[in-house]
Amino acid sequence: MYMDSARDVPSGGFNFDNCRRNAALLQGGFKPPTTTKTGTTIVGIIYKDGVILGADTRATEGPIVSDKNCAKIHYLADNIYCCGAGTAADTETTTDLISSQLELHRLNTERQVPVVCANNMLKQMLFRYQGHISAALVLGGVDKYGPHIYCIHPHGSADKLPYATMGSGSLAAMAVFESRWKPDLSEEEGKVLVRDAIASGIFNDLGSGSNVDLCVIRKDSTEYLRNYELANKKGERQLNYSFKKGSTPILHTTIKDLQITERVHVVPMEIS
Amino acid sequence: MGPDYDFTDTPVSTGTTIMAVEFDGGVVIGADSRTSSGAYVANRVTDKLTQISDKIYCCRSGSAADTQAIADIVAYSLNYHRNQTNKEPLVWEAASEFRNYCYNYRDSLLAGIIVAGWDEERGGQVYSVPLGGMLTHEACTIGGSGSSFIYGFVREHYREGMPKEECVDFVKKAVQHAIFHDGSSGGVVRIGIITKDGIERRLFYNTESGESTIVGSESFVN
Amino acid sequence: MSILAYNGGCVVAMRGKDCVAIATDHRFGVQAQTISTDFKKVFHIAPRMFLGLTGLQTDILTVRDRLMFRKNIYETKENREMAPKPFSAMLSNFLYEHRFGPYFIEPVVAGLDPKTLKPFICNMDLIGCPNEPDDFVVAGTCAEQLYGMCETLWRPDLEPDQLFEVIAQSMVNAFDRDAMSGWGATVYIIEADKITERSLKTRMD
Repeated sequence: MYMDSARDVPSGGFNFDNCRRNAALLQGGFKPPTTTKTGTTIVGIIYKDGVILGADTRATEGPIVSDKNCAKIHYLADNIYCCGAGTAADTETTTDLISSQLELHRLNTERQVPVVCANNMLKQMLFRYQGHISAALVLGGVDKYGPHIYCIHPHGSADKLPYATMGSGSLAAMAVFESRWKPDLSEEEGKVLVRDAIASGIFNDLGSGSNVDLCVIRKDSTEYLRNYELANKKGERQLNYSFKKGSTPILHTTIKDLQITERVHVVPMEIS
Repeated sequence: MGPDYDFTDTPVSTGTTIMAVEFDGGVVIGADSRTSSGAYVANRVTDKLTQISDKIYCCRSGSAADTQAIADIVAYSLNYHRNQTNKEPLVWEAASEFRNYCYNYRDSLLAGIIVAGWDEERGGQVYSVPLGGMLTHEACTIGGSGSSFIYGFVREHYREGMPKEECVDFVKKAVQHAIFHDGSSGGVVRIGIITKDGIERRLFYNTESGESTIVGSESFVN
Repeated sequence: MSILAYNGGCVVAMRGKDCVAIATDHRFGVQAQTISTDFKKVFHIAPRMFLGLTGLQTDILTVRDRLMFRKNIYETKENREMAPKPFSAMLSNFLYEHRFGPYFIEPVVAGLDPKTLKPFICNMDLIGCPNEPDDFVVAGTCAEQLYGMCETLWRPDLEPDQLFEVIAQSMVNAFDRDAMSGWGATVYIIEADKITERSLKTRMD
């Protein structure tokens, strides 16, 4: 047992030890388990002074809503944020990984990292994994070259666009953009447009739901508007279900006291 | 079934029409602007004419991820070469670089590429690197899913030694025909004219005149 | 059938006022056959932290051992107790390491921060996507039923005694509608000064 554990010192990178066992189990007629997906509506637009990113906040596991208020706009750098759709664990780790690489790059170059740099890192990583990392991203940021939106697909292709949507609600959101986006929108117009695009995903796509998150990135400031709008408020309960103490039959109770008293002994160091 | 239509498993590909023609003093390259993911148009203003060096471009067809990755790698390696040798890369060198990647990774790539450009040694040249990774030099070539609709048109109307503007018109018409017949080609026609002075880009909308019908709004060109 | 439902079982954790609760059933089965009724899926891994693991039994034990190994390494290196937050991050990284050959488990972490004594609950999918809500987390074969029960019974700022009744009732009534879970249950209430473990009287069918 101890030997076994000792062999498990993480070496970095993925571990494929279970693959053959899992393939054998799946061959026995078992269905593969569901992972948390962000069905998702995520969007990004360029407006007059920068970019606005938007996302819904629903995470699903098959038909179950596993998180009603998750954050899908991830931090990459002070001037770059990234919305993620697809397998939640993948978008989370991919953006985290790139975020730390960007920070190291910034410290090495002593410059603000440009948005293309984040785009290249992300697309090269996703291409290397040949689509097995299911992360569909909308990357947005502002650098000295201006505002940028990139749409990155799980297989590693990227499109540079003035307005982009991703996820299962992308069609609903794109319908809003195609009819109403125009160059040089003001910040207020931009926020309303992004809100409306996300709302159309929330209300028309089953994989998207709950609230609207926004992130406004300007030339030299960033504003993360978490839960910018609570699009779906829960009805307030008028009374509550309270149980009287002792409602649940108990077989036995053990109480473990945690009052830990600490005593410090000073042991003099031996000096030879 | 869960509510999520699994968009992550649908690969993005440029179901495309691309084309390149040589003329005396340069080349004309052309492409549509549609990128599709299954039945969804993922990008309607794509630029499939991708710069490799100053005067060498490639037209990409097949998987968007694959062709973008190869183009990035080749552009990087030619740039490196240019810095090492202090010479502009030759179109042929670019094409054989593409061929090497497309051939060596032929089992895992889905890429049909046309390499075109201008160099000091041989002027305007067009090379085709189709699916299996073969490399051929051609005076006029077409590629992508839309190309099958315009083989007849190209055979009928291509003449050797057409002047520049005639080539532009020929490429424009051919791509427009392909866009009309092919469901996975569409959007606008993007054309590039590469000569010793670099590239001149032109854009034709999908209208009668080729001009935009929307007043006061430019398409997002780059 | 999913491999996650091969052995059955469920775990739920809830946040209360300055306390957290975590509950587990006792069944260990192989598909429809019950093997034993004293398999607790919740492990006491630090003075004020519990780890619940549902899913394939062999992986529950393996993951528990591997995590304890990593946690011990951490505590030896850092010479301090591991808080629930970094423990969850470690668990998430461990599971994502096995992204392409996962362990078939769904973990739940519940505890109080050893320094601030702030309540913490968290669950993940089998490849380590963390979820830290401020109400409750569920896992196991009767997750659907548990979601329904918890969604109605839970309310903010429950005192330890009330929290016990809420989590116990949620658990018992959820797994009574699941053939793969049940056969007894244990509830742990974690407070700053004590941990109360209560065995529940439940149906045994």
